[in-house]
Amino acid sequence: MTGLRKRVTVGFLSIVCLLFISGMLSFFELSHLSRDTGDILKASRRNIELAKEILDAAHNLNVALIHSSVLGERHYDTISRASMRRLEEVWLTAQSEALDKSFLDSLAFAATEMKVLVDNYLSFATTRQEQATLPFTDSLMVGDSLAVDSLAKAAAQLPVGDHWYTEEFEGSYNRLTAAVKAYMTSTQSSLAPRTEQLKKNAYRAVTPVLISLVVMIAIVLMFYYFMTIYCVNPILSMNKSLGAYLSFRVPFGVKAECKDEVLELKEKIETLIGQAAHHKA
Amino acid sequence: MRIDLVLRYVGMVMLFIAAFMLISVGISYASGMDSSFYPLLLSALLTALLGAFPQIFVEKKGQLSTKEGFAVVVGSWLVACIVGMFPYLIWGGEFNLINAWFESVSGFTTTGATILEDIEALPRGMQFWRMSSTWIGGMGVVMFALVILPSMGRSKMTLSSVELSSLARENYNYRTQIIVQILLVVYLGLTLLSTLSLKMAGMNWFDALCHSMSATATSGFSTKNLSIAFYNSPAIETVLILTMAISGIHFGLIYATVTGKRNNIFRSEVTRYYVGILIGAALLITISLFADGLYPTLSASFRHAIFQVTSLMTTSGFATADTNLWTPFAIILLIFVSIVCASAGSTTGGIKVNRLILATKMMAARLQQQRHPNAVIRVRLDGMIQESDTLHTVMVFVVAYFMLILIGALLGTLFGLDLTSAFTGAVACMGNVGPGFGEIGSMNNFAAMPTVMKGVDALLMLFGRLEIFGLIQLFSMKWWR
Repeated sequence: MTGLRKRVTVGFLSIVCLLFISGMLSFFELSHLSRDTGDILKASRRNIELAKEILDAAHNLNVALIHSSVLGERHYDTISRASMRRLEEVWLTAQSEALDKSFLDSLAFAATEMKVLVDNYLSFATTRQEQATLPFTDSLMVGDSLAVDSLAKAAAQLPVGDHWYTEEFEGSYNRLTAAVKAYMTSTQSSLAPRTEQLKKNAYRAVTPVLISLVVMIAIVLMFYYFMTIYCVNPILSMNKSLGAYLSFRVPFGVKAECKDEVLELKEKIETLIGQAAHHKA
Repeated sequence: MRIDLVLRYVGMVMLFIAAFMLISVGISYASGMDSSFYPLLLSALLTALLGAFPQIFVEKKGQLSTKEGFAVVVGSWLVACIVGMFPYLIWGGEFNLINAWFESVSGFTTTGATILEDIEALPRGMQFWRMSSTWIGGMGVVMFALVILPSMGRSKMTLSSVELSSLARENYNYRTQIIVQILLVVYLGLTLLSTLSLKMAGMNWFDALCHSMSATATSGFSTKNLSIAFYNSPAIETVLILTMAISGIHFGLIYATVTGKRNNIFRSEVTRYYVGILIGAALLITISLFADGLYPTLSASFRHAIFQVTSLMTTSGFATADTNLWTPFAIILLIFVSIVCASAGSTTGGIKVNRLILATKMMAARLQQQRHPNAVIRVRLDGMIQESDTLHTVMVFVVAYFMLILIGALLGTLFGLDLTSAFTGAVACMGNVGPGFGEIGSMNNFAAMPTVMKGVDALLMLFGRLEIFGLIQLFSMKWWR
């Protein structure tokens, strides 16, 4: 015999279980989705920051090299070196943090090319400056230090890098900035498939919950149906039949199909009616 | 109609399906907990919960009436198709609601048509679930469940007689329990034998098991995008031809033959016609293909012709060649065998050879009757006189079958399909064959079908599997009173 209490408990427990499953699934899937979205946004923001820093460092290097090579202001060499170091640092950070390293290939090529060019220029310019002063100093008489100084200053101020800047560096600089812009664009365009994946994840997040809810609705309907035919209907008919018996002495005849407390109740009522009839007789 | 009792039996079938989902979970776990693990586990839990609920509330009471038996069988098929799409829906990928419904119905009705463009992208657990659904459907959702269900007295007989068509029952002279056991023994035996043979022919264990489940159920689901053409192996094709051809024979006759009984396949008129049509069609197509120069040698033409004829006649739908490229004569013959199909009492769908023989004999009897109006002419099948009621049912079935094909083809053309695809699509789905011709040829799939047509074709599959009238009755209000 399956008692009423057990049936009702199982019914409610099933609904609670399904609610719990649906809740846990939505919580798990939505937190997963939220984490994925957060990661994508964070990666995108960081990419933009790094690209901006590379562009700033490249711009500073460019300005310093204009001063140094075109205008002959050699003290800008220190700023050039610092900018180049800064560029390298940012580049290395971008390389270590990038999720998709394939986008960094053209940028790596442009950055390496620029580094070699700038390093060569800076070491070459220093040597040339020294070389430029040597013939004069050799030919000059000892003690004519004023002349040596003025010649060295003139050599240093010569626009020796003008040609180098326009012919070599400018092209490299343009390639680097173009590569940085391409890097920015490509990382942004890589968001599209990841967003598409997010869309799929969102679908996957919602579907199990929807299916659980559909199953829950089916169970609630079955629960309602079973409660109606096994509990509500027999009690109503017993009530009606008992009323008819008390009012008009219509024999108490109720069908109870399940072997549960409702059947016991029906049997007890029948016994009571039987006893009452026996006492009267 | 005692709906609570119907729900109890349908619930038992659902518990049985949940058990197969759990086996697929095990396969997924053994394959390194692939992406189908959680979808299958959740589906198994939900299905088990749905199935267990009525068991707790409804007590075992009385025996099932025939009407209730019908409701249990048709309800079980429908519910199996519904819960069968849970794993697909939860897993996602190419499965949206209609695609999952189509794949699930196609699996359980052993049609073997798919909406998947990349079958190989499915994880192993999901692949196994596809094959499980089709394997359960091959023997019959309810018939399979009856094997493991506890004793149900006369209810078991009612359910089995409803699940088995009247034509299929003819070769069984046993008690219900024995019939169910015979079915299971033959089905399991064929599957195991086929698995071993496919393994020996060069498949890996997983593919061998999946393809043997599919071939025994005459479904045609494959684990490869190119179906059997992927293997390009005469040995594998031979094993599958034999498996499909044997699965197209009445299971009772197979059992009788193996156990040395008198009413075996060699004495069966239906089997003789079935094998005759199969070999005859294969030879005619071979000649047509060779004469057209489609294949360089006669043996190559025969190899492809016999495979495709067996595949379509047994309603399997495996493919080794693109039949769209074949001659019109070959295509017409293939459409013919897709409509006739194999014997009653097998796992195949379609009109079945039994009905074709009876219809032909009835036509001959009619001609004879016109010549001799007072003659008493009996129609016999396998030496048994057929009752006029049986003959009437056969004719009604054939007419209803073609009417449904016509409706399916009409709807297909209405929703933008070309004539070939619309007509052969309806034939393929109604007969639970799988591939048709045109856009849904042997090397294509149903992915590009309009959404409405996917729904229509899934309905045709159910009509075909439930032999039309059972499903119609379920939607009749009067029937429920």
